[in-house]
Amino acid sequence: MSEALLRANSLVKRFGAVMASDGLNLEVYPGEVHALIGPNGAGKTTAVAQLSGEMCPDAGSVQFDGRDVTRLSADARARAGLARSFQITSLFLGFTAEDNVAMAIQAHQGHSFRFWGNAREDETLRDPARAVLARVGLDGREDVPAANLAHGEQRQLELAMALATEPKLLLLDEPMAGMGHDESQCMVELLVGLKGKLAILLVEHDMDVVFSLADRITVLVYGRSIASGAPEDIRVNAEVRDAYLGVDA
Amino acid sequence: MAALAVALLLPAVALGLDKPFFVTLASRMLIYGLAAASLDLILGFGGMVSFGHAAFFGVGGYTVGILSAHGFDGSAFLGLFPGGDNALIVWPLAMLVSGLLALVVGAVSLRTGGVYFIMITLAFAQMLYYFFVSLETYGGDDGLSMYGRSRLPGLDLSDDATFYYVCLALLLAFLWLGRRLVASRFGMVIAGVRENERRMVALGFPVYRYKLACFAIAGAVAGLAGALAANQTEFVSPGLMHWTKSGEIMVMVIMGGMGTLVGPVFGAAVFLLLEEVLSKWTEHWMIVLGPLLILIVLFAKRGLYGWLAGRGKTS
Amino acid sequence: MTALLVLEQVLNGLQLGVMLFLLAAGLTLIFGIMDLINLAHGSLYMVGAFVAASVSQWTGSFMLGLLAAMPAAAAVGMAVEMIALRTLYERNHLDQVLATFGLILFFNELVRIIWGPRAIFMDVPEALSGTIEIVPGAPYPAFRLAIIAVGIAVAVFLYFLISRTRIGMLIRAGASNREMVGALGVDVKLLFTLVFGLGAALAGLAGAMAGPIFAVEVGMGEGVLILTFVVIVIGGIGSVRGALVGALLVGLVDTLGRAFLPTLLRLVADPATADGVGASVASMSIYILMAAVLVWRPRGLFPAHG
Repeated sequence: MSEALLRANSLVKRFGAVMASDGLNLEVYPGEVHALIGPNGAGKTTAVAQLSGEMCPDAGSVQFDGRDVTRLSADARARAGLARSFQITSLFLGFTAEDNVAMAIQAHQGHSFRFWGNAREDETLRDPARAVLARVGLDGREDVPAANLAHGEQRQLELAMALATEPKLLLLDEPMAGMGHDESQCMVELLVGLKGKLAILLVEHDMDVVFSLADRITVLVYGRSIASGAPEDIRVNAEVRDAYLGVDA
Repeated sequence: MAALAVALLLPAVALGLDKPFFVTLASRMLIYGLAAASLDLILGFGGMVSFGHAAFFGVGGYTVGILSAHGFDGSAFLGLFPGGDNALIVWPLAMLVSGLLALVVGAVSLRTGGVYFIMITLAFAQMLYYFFVSLETYGGDDGLSMYGRSRLPGLDLSDDATFYYVCLALLLAFLWLGRRLVASRFGMVIAGVRENERRMVALGFPVYRYKLACFAIAGAVAGLAGALAANQTEFVSPGLMHWTKSGEIMVMVIMGGMGTLVGPVFGAAVFLLLEEVLSKWTEHWMIVLGPLLILIVLFAKRGLYGWLAGRGKTS
Repeated sequence: MTALLVLEQVLNGLQLGVMLFLLAAGLTLIFGIMDLINLAHGSLYMVGAFVAASVSQWTGSFMLGLLAAMPAAAAVGMAVEMIALRTLYERNHLDQVLATFGLILFFNELVRIIWGPRAIFMDVPEALSGTIEIVPGAPYPAFRLAIIAVGIAVAVFLYFLISRTRIGMLIRAGASNREMVGALGVDVKLLFTLVFGLGAALAGLAGAMAGPIFAVEVGMGEGVLILTFVVIVIGGIGSVRGALVGALLVGLVDTLGRAFLPTLLRLVADPATADGVGASVASMSIYILMAAVLVWRPRGLFPAHG
């Protein structure tokens, strides 16, 4: 078994009297699809925030790619290869789809203290951007302002931007939020296509999606992981069944 | 674009008529236009609501003023730097000083955001105002007179028409360079930060550095505008950096159209024109400007330029 | 530099601090609860001062002037809130800054029209025109002591209002969730207007008390407004406790700096340079304090929202 790419050690995060993270442990290995599930209020959003660097844990540590990144800022983690998508769509609504992805490509291409050349005509940005858009199924929609895209297309764009930075680990926060069944299926196929090429930590509610995609699953309840392992083991785990009363697993 | 062509034709017409006052007024419009355009860089494009931009404007003016005073009596600034009025040295120096100041102010202020940022930039500008008021050696509250304008080799800046064209040339140069800046990779980052800063951070941009660079550049350009303003009146006073001046420049940007660079120039022109006309009508013209501002904010968000440009297009 | 001199300056610092607190408390509440950045708060201070000056001149009683200033400022404040500011609550900060900047211009000119362009001078009330020896051998103006006392009284009053009364609870609830409070049947609009009125009354009180010490003139609100902003930034937006701590800090640093920096510098430099540099640095001292606090705590000392 190779070294964990992303490891969370006993993360603790308190908001007043509420323990959003209560000694959370998590490991994601290179190339695997790891699903993080749990009932509402389990602390998934807080966990994601601490892993991506938007929030600092009160105690515990986070390691990524062999380094301790606990005190590292979100943008530094992104540069180190940890990309994320947001649960509530977070795009540059005033820009076109291609502009959005080009921005991500630009982020990945070193510093941007270039004051002269026209960025919109820069082929080293636009060509890869179009390629990524095609990969997620948005070819033909490059010049549409992001605000005018359908909700499902916007979620695809979210994913495209994360992919464009060529990350080692993709942190997807409910990528299929608000999508209909067919759209979700497309997204699932997309993600299946990514398997093995990079690690994916997937926060998701839809159990069908989880069981069809995940190599391993961690179940989060009240801020701590109550079970972690292969899907079949999770499916029959008694504690998990209790936490998810009535889940059709 | 048509509006731009009109603006270019106006100077020739104005000079043809024997009304030298208009040349002075037009020069002021160009100078404040430059200041407003520099603010647009951080406000309109960068989304940073800085209420202390006049500080950099004023400091640029004072750099020219102080060096001119020292040059006149042969003394040296702080006992080290000789004075002078060579525009090729003094004007870039004004930009350098303002730019460095903006770097320092920005370094502290940009660690915050939202309301804190607005209040802090306001506070720093006022700090500089009080500092210059307390500077008795350089006039303090009464201001400092200059003994003539800066010297440009080959051109006589004391001639108002020549001075006007120099201002115009500098403004056009900034508008052109500014456009290139905005379209560059750097400009993209600034625009992205304005649109969605959280996203930019998630993509891996060290956002603080870019904001700071933009802030410093805008400060330096404001310093140049200040140097020109000092030249125009051959006088500098702390009033150049009073926070109400910051507010006026901000109004010019909004009235003209944020995020367009050219819009604020029109905004400055209209604002100064209004000031001239209204003050002849009543000495209490400010009472009109106040509510007018409120109405503009509530209803005319895209400003003059946005309105003019929008009429020709269908989007 | 005697201990008595230091004591006198410390008291001056406290007096300035207390007046800044009156302004900052209102402003920080308005900001924290309504998310409204209000540049015209200084104008309410000015209105209070002018009304107090006029009323005390007509009636010959400082007390009446003071008592008139508070409701006057509150009334003006609430009128402005209902007419102009309500539309701004939903808007972004830039719009608020510009609109309230417009209000400042308007009020300055209005005051100039009504009262004329020259400054008015207010006399210290007879009863408080003497000095009190708080420490034997150290007489201190009674009026200034009264200001400090009033300030402490207001701080205590605000503490009880906000943490112990129903209104205070509504204010705190309205801050964290406007819609919910509205859904529970509370008239949020009225609540906000009342809060604004309270802030305005405090500003008016500060203006009335400032009258005898500083000149009552157009534009007096701006200088004090900037100081108030510095106080709020240091103290943390939305926190009355932060406003108190920040105000006292700013009051003390500014007063003591101006009084003693030139003298201190004389130890290392010649008198002319020391005085010049000392005065300049002293005028910047509170901003340096603000910068220092921000480097350490970017959201102020006691931010209300975590």
